[in-house]
Amino acid sequence: MNYKLLHIFRNTPFGRETFLQSLYFCKTINAHPVVYIPKTDKFLMYFANDVVQVNLDNSFLAFPDTAREHVIALFDEAGIPPRFYEPKNFTASTLPDISSQFDYMCSPRSISDLSSKIGLGLLGPKVRRMIKQATFPILIASPVFKAWQSISVFFGGSANAMNALVLGLKIAIASGFPLKIYTVLENDNEDVYRDMVRNSELEELVDQYVIEWCFYESSGFDRMLYEVPHDSLIVLGAYGHGVIKEILLGSKMEHIQSTVTNNLLVTGPNCRISLESATQA
Amino acid sequence: MNRLKRIYNLFYAKFFLFDDRLVLMTAGAVVGVFAGGAAVALRLSLASVLEFFAPYRQYAWAFILPGIGALCSFLFLDKVVREGAGHGVPEVIYAVSRRGGLLRFRSTFSRLVSSFLTIASGGSAGPEAPVVMSGSAIGSNIGKFLGLNDRQRMTLVGCGTAGAIASIFHAPVAGLIFSVEIILGEWKFINIIPIAIAAVAGAQISEAIIPEKELFQHHPFDIFAGDILGSIGLALFTALISVIFTRTLRRVGALAKRTPVSPWLRALIGGCAVGTIGIFMPIVLGEGYHPIMEMVSGTFPMAFWLIFLGVFLKIFVTAITLGWGGSGGIFAPCLVLGSLTGVVFYKAMMFVFPNAAVTSEGAYALLGMAGIMSGVMQAPLSSIFLIAEITGGYEAILLLLLVSSISSTLSHIIEPSSFYFKDLIERGEFMRPGTDARILSDLSLNEIIDTSYITVSENMVFREFINIIRNSNRNHYPVISDETGDYLGMVRVSSIRKYALDPAFYDMIFLNQIMDTDMVTASFDDDLHDVLEFMETFNIDHIPVVEHHRFSGMISKARILDLYRRELIMQTNIQ
Repeated sequence: MNYKLLHIFRNTPFGRETFLQSLYFCKTINAHPVVYIPKTDKFLMYFANDVVQVNLDNSFLAFPDTAREHVIALFDEAGIPPRFYEPKNFTASTLPDISSQFDYMCSPRSISDLSSKIGLGLLGPKVRRMIKQATFPILIASPVFKAWQSISVFFGGSANAMNALVLGLKIAIASGFPLKIYTVLENDNEDVYRDMVRNSELEELVDQYVIEWCFYESSGFDRMLYEVPHDSLIVLGAYGHGVIKEILLGSKMEHIQSTVTNNLLVTGPNCRISLESATQA
Repeated sequence: MNRLKRIYNLFYAKFFLFDDRLVLMTAGAVVGVFAGGAAVALRLSLASVLEFFAPYRQYAWAFILPGIGALCSFLFLDKVVREGAGHGVPEVIYAVSRRGGLLRFRSTFSRLVSSFLTIASGGSAGPEAPVVMSGSAIGSNIGKFLGLNDRQRMTLVGCGTAGAIASIFHAPVAGLIFSVEIILGEWKFINIIPIAIAAVAGAQISEAIIPEKELFQHHPFDIFAGDILGSIGLALFTALISVIFTRTLRRVGALAKRTPVSPWLRALIGGCAVGTIGIFMPIVLGEGYHPIMEMVSGTFPMAFWLIFLGVFLKIFVTAITLGWGGSGGIFAPCLVLGSLTGVVFYKAMMFVFPNAAVTSEGAYALLGMAGIMSGVMQAPLSSIFLIAEITGGYEAILLLLLVSSISSTLSHIIEPSSFYFKDLIERGEFMRPGTDARILSDLSLNEIIDTSYITVSENMVFREFINIIRNSNRNHYPVISDETGDYLGMVRVSSIRKYALDPAFYDMIFLNQIMDTDMVTASFDDDLHDVLEFMETFNIDHIPVVEHHRFSGMISKARILDLYRRELIMQTNIQ
């Protein structure tokens, strides 16, 4: 496989944890991390129908003299040759355009003086917008490095959830880790969900790679979150609602990411996941 | 909810999909109204605040006002809305040129606020570039909201520009021409109608809120034969001043970047310097519409040497304002500078030829504006129609044509790219529609790249490879490292003939011994135009795409040319 993950490096102990997570993710699925060391506190990502400005907090610009050295050391430790990303285009002199031609991206988290925003806090509309527009899944790394040993797919039956299931299978094939599916029954019985999988021609792969499919009553969402193994990579689909839709409809993803400490891999509505290369491998 | 969605889909299918021109015309009118509204809001707020500060400008402490304004403007842009630095118009051109007209939502208001802070406090800048940025961003975001494609969205960006210019100057024709000549760079039927509608909508909004006939009214001019010679002389003079202005703007901006002080302090220092000059020469402050009005109507009271000094001080304070952290455009400074230049030239001409039968000082101020704008923007049509519309000086249209043509041609010879385009050209990101570079840049490398190539291992024995090529019709086989998965080189069927014909080699050699490691590679960041040029120069038909040492696929010249033809047909069919 020839997958690339974009990682925005932060030269702080917190940033090291996130980068270790990216390295582990890449080693596990045989992808390659490409590191961007920011020189400005913001950058743009152009997608097909939107442009997203990512604002970084000052910690991303900390100790620029040692950033590259630290990245190389962590790459060496992981046994992966270092690769860096240098922006070629600039919308304005202080506003580089970062390519959106990646297969995965590790989402930068902001550090704020407000403790509620550190780690398990609000992801915010910016990351959600990126999830909405990106053609690749977004890895939201746990605040502290945690080597995941299994995969948990949250499957609710929507198109995004189906995408997440495909991605979960892809990661399971690449990593060899066991895969579990978690479903909260929303007025339907289990067969409805099984039929969805059958109709999408994933049944064979699901039978082969999924070790368990857990169903919960509609009120059992939080119980389900508790029962997900702490060292599991959670794969889920999200719509990437904006602020207004979030106020009106709420955000399951925000609830999940503020409740569990696991690594999350989120697919958005524009995410294109293909199993072709994974099954060939 | 579902019923609503069905009604919407039905309406969308019946109305919008019937003809996309209807979409663009409707959306263009909406964009024109919003862009016009934004321009009027900025103009009215500037007028009221400038009036409020006017009595205080004479005091010595007033020098600090532009400093505070520039500081607030910088902090607003950098810390509050976190926009990148820039004048506005080049960003819009970049968005159209390279990014399918995508502009951020925050750009709909950010430059309006920051330029308001800069200009209202006395900084020498114009409100026009910010309203262009704002209008274009409104168009882009409405296009995004409607889910339009790149070309439709770019037309709406043009609509926003036209609506904004039409509104702020009461000049719909100039809005239309500026949008097409500077921003979009292409005259197409599909663009012109929605942009014209947007320009009319913008002008009407402005007319409804600020009922004035022309921005700079004047008495009718009597044009004489001698004015032709006078106009030629003025055109040469304005071309020279335009080049000085463009170069000063860039050099002062570059100097600011090299100055070892923090950007906010730089904005404060620059603003205070502008304020200090403004105490002695108040006409250089602000957007300068009032002195223009006096010069066009022939009632400007200053002496020749002071006006001459004013020309250079205006250049300097504009460069300081924009280069050292303030926000705004060069449109209004061009108008002030042009009218000052015109008046200086007229006074000098009358001093040398006191009995010359020529038109009035006001007409030369007007011609000077056209000359400077044409020289700086190198967009003669926009300048001619803008000056004619904002002054109502249609009787001088022949002289306007003469001055604009000579000034833009001469400036182009001395300074081959206009102020708006220079940075983009230097960065290789200025691509006008219809050019090879633009058509190729509109193609995605993902469309061109062929990823179905069979990769082979570096340690593969030649016999095994022979079995692979026996069952494949490919001529290129990328060799991959077993250990890292990195791309190592390429095996070309044409270059292994001698081994293939001799079975003795089959078990003796490995692919890493015969692969071509010197084959040039491309990456996803490379411009297709450069890749194609490279293939032409070195006469190669295939080039591997290697991204971060990993083989991603191959690009073939035939595939590029196929898609180039398809894109060309698509772009020309739109007409």
